[in-house]
Amino acid sequence: MKKLFYSIALSVLVAAGSSCKKVDNYAAPNVTLKGTVTDAGTGKSLQTEQGSGTRIKLLEISWSSNPTPFYVSSFQDGTYQNTKLFAGKNVISAEGAFVPLVQVDDAGKTIVDKSQTVDVKDVTTVNFSVEPFLRIEWVGDPVLNADGTITTSFKVTRGTADPNFQQNVSDVAVFVNSNNYVGNNNYDNRYTPKLSGNDANNSVGKTLSLTTLGGALPGKRSYFIRVGARVSYGLNYYNYTDVKEVKVP
Amino acid sequence: MKKFPYIILTFLLCWTTACKKLDTLPPSIISDQDVFSSAAGVTAYMARMYSELPIEDFRYSPERGLNMFWIISPTSATTGEALSRDQNGSMQENTGLSTWSDCYRTIRDANYFSENIGKYAGNFTNDQVNNWLGEARFIRAATYFALVKRYGGVPLVDKVLKYPEQSIEELKIPRNSEEKIYDFIGTDLDYAYANLPETNQVGRANKYVAAGFKSRAMLYAGTVAKYNQISLVDGSGNRLCGIPVAKAVTYFKAAYDAAALLDGKYSLYKKAWAAGDKNAQYLNYVNMFFDASSPENIFVRQYHYPESVHGYDAYNVPRQLMGANGYSSEVNPTLDFVELFDGFPKNADGTIKTTTGGKYDLYTNTMDIFANAEPRLRATVVLPGDVMKGVSIEIRRGIYTGSSVGGINPLLPAGSTAHYPTDNIVQSANASQTPYKLPNGTTMNPAGLSGYFTGDGTNSVSGFSIRKYIVPDKPTSEVLENRSDQTWIELRYAEVLLNRAEAAVELNSLGQSDKSYLQDAFTQINAIRERGGADLLTGTANLTIDVVRKERKKELGFENKQYWDMRRWRVADKEQNSTIYRTLMPFYSANDGKYFFDARLDERNSRYTFDVRWYYEQIPQDEIQKSQNLIQNPGY
Repeated sequence: MKKLFYSIALSVLVAAGSSCKKVDNYAAPNVTLKGTVTDAGTGKSLQTEQGSGTRIKLLEISWSSNPTPFYVSSFQDGTYQNTKLFAGKNVISAEGAFVPLVQVDDAGKTIVDKSQTVDVKDVTTVNFSVEPFLRIEWVGDPVLNADGTITTSFKVTRGTADPNFQQNVSDVAVFVNSNNYVGNNNYDNRYTPKLSGNDANNSVGKTLSLTTLGGALPGKRSYFIRVGARVSYGLNYYNYTDVKEVKVP
Repeated sequence: MKKFPYIILTFLLCWTTACKKLDTLPPSIISDQDVFSSAAGVTAYMARMYSELPIEDFRYSPERGLNMFWIISPTSATTGEALSRDQNGSMQENTGLSTWSDCYRTIRDANYFSENIGKYAGNFTNDQVNNWLGEARFIRAATYFALVKRYGGVPLVDKVLKYPEQSIEELKIPRNSEEKIYDFIGTDLDYAYANLPETNQVGRANKYVAAGFKSRAMLYAGTVAKYNQISLVDGSGNRLCGIPVAKAVTYFKAAYDAAALLDGKYSLYKKAWAAGDKNAQYLNYVNMFFDASSPENIFVRQYHYPESVHGYDAYNVPRQLMGANGYSSEVNPTLDFVELFDGFPKNADGTIKTTTGGKYDLYTNTMDIFANAEPRLRATVVLPGDVMKGVSIEIRRGIYTGSSVGGINPLLPAGSTAHYPTDNIVQSANASQTPYKLPNGTTMNPAGLSGYFTGDGTNSVSGFSIRKYIVPDKPTSEVLENRSDQTWIELRYAEVLLNRAEAAVELNSLGQSDKSYLQDAFTQINAIRERGGADLLTGTANLTIDVVRKERKKELGFENKQYWDMRRWRVADKEQNSTIYRTLMPFYSANDGKYFFDARLDERNSRYTFDVRWYYEQIPQDEIQKSQNLIQNPGY
């Protein structure tokens, strides 16, 4: 009887001990996905704003045909990177201020699909070439005027020939901020000049010059300037130039 | 051994009696029979549905959701109506809230009632049953409206879902189109209108409540159709976000017609109103929110201490009327809101005029600048120096001690968000103040009793305080959390008139001329302006949609309506675009013995930016995990 008791106790202990073995610990995610969203017309990376600008949409189809999307936000210069992903097969596309890569018609049929199906592993680079709604170029550098204001010259043109994405230009603005993270999500409205309505819509194709508001800018600091414009489409994303710094002595 | 048959017989007898109803329900569980077979039971069932009805009342804030007592992040401080120390920006509803699932629970309750009351119809008259069915439909429609205005198209559930009879896959109902949901709401409210009685218990729907809600819901649908630019279409062609522009006229007409059904049934509250008497008009407007017999109240939610309460007074009274919980001044109307009104000096651009020739205008009392203010403004906002609960609400930013020879120059350049310079100004960090000795020998506290204090934010941060809905005679000992029980007026006739006017002006601008829409809008707007004591419109020529919207902001300010109006008009991202709201700071000039006002940007520098994505709220992630057929709204 005692022998039986001990053998049962021993087998329970062995069972308990062996169950502690950590066999099901999945390796931490270590795969890198990176890339750039570029303007097909100019070949340059497409400028955006952080947070509510370009983002990369990942649909991991290794497990499910109807996965919940996973998003990677892009940096404001149009590049993106995530170094903590799991390896897997993904359908990848991008969303932002450009002609959508995946378009659905009113009947729910997918009419355009430029997403890429990629085996994401180790370090994978996926680039996108897109047609921005608007293309904004600097015309010279921003100028510090004698009266302490800054005048910025630029030109807004259509970035796509597709008439479905040539809605009216609703806003044009020369965003001014005290650091280089500048855009519609982050600017100083005391100084930032804006155009809207017809003024904005008539600006397409012309060289415009806008001067900062509020008189002389406080001195002994730098201002970071960036021109943005948007059309009335979807979530009204802005297109941007890159950021220029103006030092006010 | 003769006894044996008897024993068997007794034994058998016991057995048969024991068989009786072994499967009875435990008596502690209330069954359908208990609830649905008596009018009292149905009333109890209704009471719960009404209490769950998702309306944004005293117990709502975007931060903490519906039916939450703690409203220190007031809705009005997200819209620019007010500033608050605890809510410093625009926001979508907190995504961690359970609004989605709570709404579907209420919809289930309404569906369950509709499907089961028929079994007990024998106990009631036909009218009773029909009225109740109408009520259940009203509740379902109002709940769907709460969903559609947040999320766009949502799953349409019009019957009780059964698990495990129905499979999980079957119950993963995908979203329907936004248009379908609005049409469904319209149909339910039509049914409710046809079946509800003319009058009902206070707090419950009658047929005009259904019509009033329909005017509201259809107006939302019309504006979304007209102004929305966001589109989301699912694989079967259902437009989950957005309504075709072509439908705008249909919805505006439905809104207009529904509003017209209330004609003559309700009226604007004018019990104490007198033509040309600003004080009477002011008192009338204040009283409107507390008169249970007001002919303007259409649908209300009642509260009663101690079993059903809120804390509106405790959170929002001016600092000097603070109760024992230590809360006060959460809602401080912005100067931008105040400037919507008439009756005080204004610059050409509509902003308040505080200077002449670059020097501040001087006033003996802070109320002098507002001496002729629109009565509705005084009744909505406590202006600096105005009286509340018998005391003058003292709001003063500081004492200006500099020279006043030749007038006082503006303290800061226009558009500055800097703090005031301290060399010529004495100010107070908090309510324990050190009195300042004035040139005439008397002493004065640098700041008013209700602020502004530079250190803690527990004061009027905008220079104004809120009066609307603050009980005028509540003793300070009762200004406590969960001690207020004034009634919330969810739908009042003024809103129906504004719905009607807005639909009319929109129809006119869409080229509809089957009725004299513009003239009708003119009549409604002027009725509201007359009651509020505002300047009347002189003709229909200038009656644009902006005039109607401005009137709506003024009339329904701080009633948690503007939060949704800014969304459905799709103007929130324009209005709140790195916006800093304005404040009005009264100073006392020691050498003049008079006051001057500085209109400035919020000194605390709170910037408001509305993200375009928020026009459609984020569907809670846990709901998508439960039902993977739900498609998330764009941008999340």
